[in-house]
Amino acid sequence: MSHNQLNTLIRMANQIADNNHHYPFEQAVALVCNHLQKFWAKAMKMKIIAYYHNDGSELNPVVTAAIKQLDEHYQTKSASNAESSIA
Amino acid sequence: MKINYFNPNKDYGTPARLSENLVTLEIDGVEVTVPEGTSVMRAAALADITIPKLCASDNLESFGSCRLCAVEIEGRRGMPASCTTPVDAGMKVTTQNGKLAKLRRNIMELYISDHPLDCLTCPANGNCELQDMAGAVGLREVRYGFEGKNHLDSEKDHSNPYFSFDPSKCIVCSRCVRACEEVQGTFALTIDGRGFDSKVSPGQNESFMGSECVSCGACVQACPTSTLMEKSVIEMGQPEHSVVTTCAYCGVGCSFKAEMKGDQVVRMVPYKGGDANHGHSCVKGRFAFGYATHKDRITSPMIRNAINEPWQQVSWDEAIDFAANRLQQVQQQYGKDSIGGITSSRCTNEEAYLVQKLVRTAFGNNNTDTCARVCHSPTGYGLKMTLGESAGTQDFDSVMKSDVIIVIGANPTDAHPVFGSLMRRRLRQGAKLIVVDPRHIDLLKTPHLKEAHHLALRPGSNVALINAIAHVIITEGLENNEFITTRCDSDSYQAWRNFIIESSNAPEQAQIITGVSAQAIREAARTFANANNGAIYYGLGVTEHSQGSTMVMGIANLAMITGNIGREGVGVNPLRGQNNVQGSCDMGSFPHELPGYQHVSDPIARTRFEKVWGVTLDDEPGLRIPNMFDSAIAGEFKGLYVQGEDIAQSDPDTQHVEQALRSLDCLIVQDLFLNETAKFAHVLLPGSSFLEKNGTFTNAERRINRVRKVMAPIAGKEDWQITVALSNALGYPMHYNHPSEIMDEIASLTPSFTGVNYDRLEQLGSIQWPCNEQHPSGMPTMHVDDFPIGKGRFSITEYVATDERTNGRFPLYLTTGRILSQYNVGAQTRRTENQSWHDEDLLEIHPHDAEVRGIKENDWLGITSRAGQTVLRARISDRMLPGVVYTTFHHPGSGANVITTDNSDWATNCPEYKVTAVQVERVSQPSEWQKNFTNFNQLQLQLLQSSSGVLHSHTEIE
Repeated sequence: MSHNQLNTLIRMANQIADNNHHYPFEQAVALVCNHLQKFWAKAMKMKIIAYYHNDGSELNPVVTAAIKQLDEHYQTKSASNAESSIA
Repeated sequence: MKINYFNPNKDYGTPARLSENLVTLEIDGVEVTVPEGTSVMRAAALADITIPKLCASDNLESFGSCRLCAVEIEGRRGMPASCTTPVDAGMKVTTQNGKLAKLRRNIMELYISDHPLDCLTCPANGNCELQDMAGAVGLREVRYGFEGKNHLDSEKDHSNPYFSFDPSKCIVCSRCVRACEEVQGTFALTIDGRGFDSKVSPGQNESFMGSECVSCGACVQACPTSTLMEKSVIEMGQPEHSVVTTCAYCGVGCSFKAEMKGDQVVRMVPYKGGDANHGHSCVKGRFAFGYATHKDRITSPMIRNAINEPWQQVSWDEAIDFAANRLQQVQQQYGKDSIGGITSSRCTNEEAYLVQKLVRTAFGNNNTDTCARVCHSPTGYGLKMTLGESAGTQDFDSVMKSDVIIVIGANPTDAHPVFGSLMRRRLRQGAKLIVVDPRHIDLLKTPHLKEAHHLALRPGSNVALINAIAHVIITEGLENNEFITTRCDSDSYQAWRNFIIESSNAPEQAQIITGVSAQAIREAARTFANANNGAIYYGLGVTEHSQGSTMVMGIANLAMITGNIGREGVGVNPLRGQNNVQGSCDMGSFPHELPGYQHVSDPIARTRFEKVWGVTLDDEPGLRIPNMFDSAIAGEFKGLYVQGEDIAQSDPDTQHVEQALRSLDCLIVQDLFLNETAKFAHVLLPGSSFLEKNGTFTNAERRINRVRKVMAPIAGKEDWQITVALSNALGYPMHYNHPSEIMDEIASLTPSFTGVNYDRLEQLGSIQWPCNEQHPSGMPTMHVDDFPIGKGRFSITEYVATDERTNGRFPLYLTTGRILSQYNVGAQTRRTENQSWHDEDLLEIHPHDAEVRGIKENDWLGITSRAGQTVLRARISDRMLPGVVYTTFHHPGSGANVITTDNSDWATNCPEYKVTAVQVERVSQPSEWQKNFTNFNQLQLQLLQSSSGVLHSHTEIE
């Protein structure tokens, strides 16, 4: 992943949060998470999740919380897929 | 008697009148019943009784000048003109008797006494109303001779590239003048002089090209003689057959009769039966079709291994195999998600559908996007979030019932000219106009406009303005509480209401951000809120911003609080840029949505598609165009199939786009020409123009219109056949014999299209989706009783300033737009005589900004932004606000998008074309990018010319 690509993703994610700034924190987090889930390609989501784990310092607090939710969603999905493949 | 149904090929003499009161009269002993207000002439025509006429036409108000349509009416004196006489109950009309025949012969004798008798060599021979009327009245002699004063030696005007004006043939019926006023609304023509000296004059005795004429062709169509005549008819003769089809330019989607001689188009005549245009046209659709047979057309498939190698002309099979192998190699090396496709908003619905299907099935991912990404993707997002459907709410005719019209970030007279004319007609009737635009658009100069507000805001401040308008309406109690209570979601409304009444949204705060006075905002808000019918029209000046989606939601909020949804005369109306932007979005071109806006994560929708398509679909969205570019530069995205789209010219931050294209291992371009993107391609598949294929386009009012083939595809394949061939080569079989079969598949998978098929389209002419069991003939007005999501949902639209700020280094804002004569990247219109009006992009700069920089008209100007620099010539213009400069992007060498940045809408990544901070200064040479562009362009044209096989000797090196 190029540095520019990551910068773009961070900027895009923060921009989504800025535009949902007026909602209460929890609601804004849910909106941002839902937006990333519905409109971002999986590769983009994986990259921003990786950045959240490795550094995350440039992420807006709303985005940080949203990506945490997103990460949990994928971990659950992955576990569920693993279970179904074992079964 | 039973009145005949409307026949679009017949001229009924005067316009239809709408009235619930019906009047019965007798014409030549036949009883006729028509709406009150109908003329005797029209009533007769409806009963198939023909009254001779010359100055009357059913697209113009009656004029009564030729007197040829005189009739006798029992109990009335004299012989009144049937065109100006309204029907009365019990009226008994005689249209033919000896007295009337004598009068008509005398009239015709006078006309012909000052008309050249060169019928056999006249271009109108065989299609001349004057000739027809001479025959109809039985004219056998002209007693007056040509010795006296006459107009036979009047000078011809050939200045317009598409039609000539021969005043010697003119009968001064004023149809051309009235068409220019009533149909087009430009008022460029007049009758100059009095009595015998009366003559048709463009402007103040100017040539057509020197006048305000916009070359829409309405005058040419109205002319009953050969006075105004298409040069193509003069050259080729009268056509011998015609085919009704749909224009491939803007989102109005006008219907035209392609009038043909064999497989050659003689002329395109706007079709009166077209429900989008009702027989009107603009300079592009009417005249600029020559690109279809231009010498620059690519006529053979071509391949090459690298972009610095000459093209090899190959067979279709070789080209398709080469493309398929390359795509498969890329996927093997870089993974399934390393390739994608872009559908075209200029191609048909069926063709866009197939490309996204190819991506989702044969490519096995959702990396499909469309050029709507860079124009109206925020419309899709914003309207779906608020109203529940990604489309405009009205038909075009709705504007004729509007009392107040808001136009935001749109320039209809240039970009949607036929609809612009309709809007002007309503404005002349007294509708009030509110324009929200940094530029003084021509709509504000509409003759006989009664009341107009121009809110000339700073670029980037749309959301602050729309919030302030809503703030005034709510705080002054002007909202429509009944609509809000019954039709809208109460929780979202309450949350939004609490937000909008905050003082930060007051006009006094907005004034600081927008530069528009609080008083002007308040007055505009009151005008709109107090309208019986208030309609909102908007364009790319809304969507192409970092808050494009927010602004669309703000517009929907405004329509809902004023109750302006769900009936004629109101609504939220996105004016789509290209002919099939609506259609390409409907067809599932976006990476997150299957056809019909069904999200890829929806398992029910996905299962339905999987069953028909026979594959397992990815449940994750794919890459959008800007994401594809970033990913390409990162070395992860390596293959792209581009159908009829020129991303190298149209997308922002050109140098970034070029870097991305150079990073690809396999770029397949399917286009009519070697466009800017194709210069970076490895495979060039020659596409077909709208004249060479069957299919459908969907216009801005959701109207699905048939595109009909009038000539064989020049390169041998219609675009849908190319996609089918590529899919088959990739191992995913597609079998269609005709685009109608593709539409049948679309209808089976898309709930809003279930009632659409080609037979139904033939039957109805066109269909506005949704078309299903509930609405078998389609739906002109949406959201009449409810919204697809039940209740309308308010979204909070907080103003967030763009990151693109002016400062000491970049003190001006650049905004971009379009001009009437050119279309989008100009690939089509630059290859027509439309070049006569606009052969280069100019930088419009306010006199104040020019003066402080010592800039004079036509000076070369360097325009520098954070993204790059280009050089354009100066046009000093006070149409812009001080501090704002403007240009168009129709010519590739202009490099308008070298300076636009990669900023984009927060929700959709639609680029922020409308706001770029720049510095402007006088320079003496092209920019570095332009020098590089010239060299690269020359190299690519040489590589094309030296391609093996037939030499492309016609393609000029610029």
